[in-house]
Amino acid sequence: MSFFQVLKAEAKLLFTDIAIVLTIFGGVILYSFLYPQPYIHESVSELPITVVDYDNTQKSRDIIFKLDATPQVDVVRHDASYKDALDALVANKIKAIMVVPAHLQRDITLGKSPTIALGVDNSYFLIYGGVLEGALKTVMTEAASIKVANLLKDKMPMVGAKKAFSAYSFKELPLFNADNSYTEYVVPAVFILILQQTLLIGMGILGGGINERLTCKQDGYYTKAKVWQMILSRTLLFGTIFFFHMLYYFGFSFEFFEINHLAHIGELLAFGVLFLAASLGLGIFLGAVFNAREIATPAVLFSSLPLVFSVGFIWPKEAMPEFIQQLAMFFPSTPAMEGFLKLNQMGADLSMIGKNSMILTLQVFIYTILGYYIMKKRQKGFYGKI
Amino acid sequence: MFEAFSNAFVKELQEIKNSYYKLFVLTLFPFVCFTLVIAIFYKGVAYDMPVVYVDQDKSELSRTLLFHMQSSPTIKLLQECTTPQEASKFLQESKAYAVVIIPKHFKRDVLLKKQPQVTVMLNTQYILVGKILKAALLDVIGVSSAQVDFVHNLATTSTPIEAMERIAPLKLYNVPFFNTTKNYFYFLVTALLPSIWQIFIVIATLISFGSLFKEKREKEFFSTSYLELQILGKMFPYTLAFMFWGVVYMYFIYGTMGWSFYGSWSVMFFGMFVCVIAYQAMALLFFVTGFDYARSLSLGAVYTAPAFAFLGVTFPIYSMNAFALFWRDLLPISKLMELQISQANYGAPVWLELDKIESMALFWIVFVPVFIRFRQRLHV
Repeated sequence: MSFFQVLKAEAKLLFTDIAIVLTIFGGVILYSFLYPQPYIHESVSELPITVVDYDNTQKSRDIIFKLDATPQVDVVRHDASYKDALDALVANKIKAIMVVPAHLQRDITLGKSPTIALGVDNSYFLIYGGVLEGALKTVMTEAASIKVANLLKDKMPMVGAKKAFSAYSFKELPLFNADNSYTEYVVPAVFILILQQTLLIGMGILGGGINERLTCKQDGYYTKAKVWQMILSRTLLFGTIFFFHMLYYFGFSFEFFEINHLAHIGELLAFGVLFLAASLGLGIFLGAVFNAREIATPAVLFSSLPLVFSVGFIWPKEAMPEFIQQLAMFFPSTPAMEGFLKLNQMGADLSMIGKNSMILTLQVFIYTILGYYIMKKRQKGFYGKI
Repeated sequence: MFEAFSNAFVKELQEIKNSYYKLFVLTLFPFVCFTLVIAIFYKGVAYDMPVVYVDQDKSELSRTLLFHMQSSPTIKLLQECTTPQEASKFLQESKAYAVVIIPKHFKRDVLLKKQPQVTVMLNTQYILVGKILKAALLDVIGVSSAQVDFVHNLATTSTPIEAMERIAPLKLYNVPFFNTTKNYFYFLVTALLPSIWQIFIVIATLISFGSLFKEKREKEFFSTSYLELQILGKMFPYTLAFMFWGVVYMYFIYGTMGWSFYGSWSVMFFGMFVCVIAYQAMALLFFVTGFDYARSLSLGAVYTAPAFAFLGVTFPIYSMNAFALFWRDLLPISKLMELQISQANYGAPVWLELDKIESMALFWIVFVPVFIRFRQRLHV
């Protein structure tokens, strides 16, 4: 068979298989909209909390008003007692309780340093930090203004007082994802995994389907074509489709969800093509291994969550067992996520992600060669005796 | 009548026994996935996060501050850099997560009460590590600055207590409820295990029905009487298997890891049972769209794979948009997760949980179209 005939046969197989089309077109487009949905508002805001105000003075009301004004917190209730507030927490109406002690205003005036108590439901990841941020901002600002007032009483000029309320201060300079956007945190990395996983499912279904027919002694182009012709045509077909998917994800989707793209376009494409090549290699390999059409989807699906979390962008690598990191390196998504995050989110250049490129290059060769031999064996098995 | 159910149940057990694939999907695969996720987060607390620093003052005061940082369990001072530019390379290559810059004339400015600023460049691309490090650095800088203040204040006040009170004229005392040590194992694994679990329920159910129809043995398996009960019977071994895995992960989290469970186990497991069946019903709904094995798996994948993001455990539901909340309502696991948190942590009374269990039970309605389609397909 000529190469062109093989390419045509593979293309026909691909585009007439609803399961493949559903995954590599439907899935890719659907996920690009669905997955970022929870994070569209980007940062944590309006967490519902209740306040128990035992002081009930001008000062306490002022503090509560300022707390409510912070973006993180929404004071939705005022409870008369701590017990009522706890009941509201159990009924899942609020996420935190702030208790303003009695005699707050008097104690502040007397310089007695009263304490406001805050209890936050820490069952959820970002809620504690969110409420605390809002509350700290409110209390610290209040404390600072009291200090400045005290210094003014001690006859220090306003300009000096504003600076002298603490010995030195902390200035945060957030880099890369400056507004702490959750979209920016999760989406760029997960998009890479989605590209890899949908590609693997597609190639796995295709390869598995052919293997199934080989075992059933069903004749077809795949018994006559040379193995390299099939590998090349599959790489061309899936490679072209996913190259456009990649442009769509890194171009349109990033723009649409307002995600940073700091990388130089040439470098991004170069690394992207390398990532695609490694994924195609793994796809060839898995397509050769799976002996039925229906194995790819479950296998790829089961691996997804462990794969995302072993990369180290959510939970730091330093706190992860070594063997997990090594295991994860067998999948193109791991070095690719690391590399893309550095390139596109942190403005690194290609020379800084040499290790990741190296691993991907190794994967291209190892998986393609392994896939080649297994496909060859399967083809021989068709002609040989059982 | 009951025989229709039990016959199908026994036949399915045979099928599982005869297929390594089905057996592994029920045993080995969930075991491996659970173990991997548990291993990733096992430490639960991030210690010794690498930080680099630029000390432009090189005074006794700046060294004291760095010493305080080094003593924090969260921070590991990796190395000193000479310029901020050199230090920021460490961030770009993810070799360090933060850069601390102590300015020139730091000590002099403190003594002159000019309030110098310690600048911290944080890699906020890694939000979680960024948050952990920011809290630790704020703590160290706050405490060491207050120590200097204290000495300053002693000079002008009469008692040490008064000097202390001057530092913080108003204090905030904060307590985290439930997960008091802020352990990330608890945050993430308690939600990740159920998310993986629901993927397995849907996929295993689809494998069971899909392989039967693919091999064209459906007429052989199902007889004409009480078809609905036979479908439930065929499904039931998987219900039991995933109830088992549900009990296992709950036992692992709240039994062996020692997290407290304040609520009622029977309410929890009843909710879990309703949830397993709800997911199986959804799996069958995907299947009856065309009785096509591979296609239904694709639908099952789209449905279950992104569930974790919609649970609201990582990103709070209060900040989600209407569409995300709608999609979340389509996933029974989101209600089970609420039930798990409110039973384990709040120990909420049963009547507060009824609505969660009800909304999971609502998914059982999809059995109606499922049964109708099965009857049409098998010409019963």
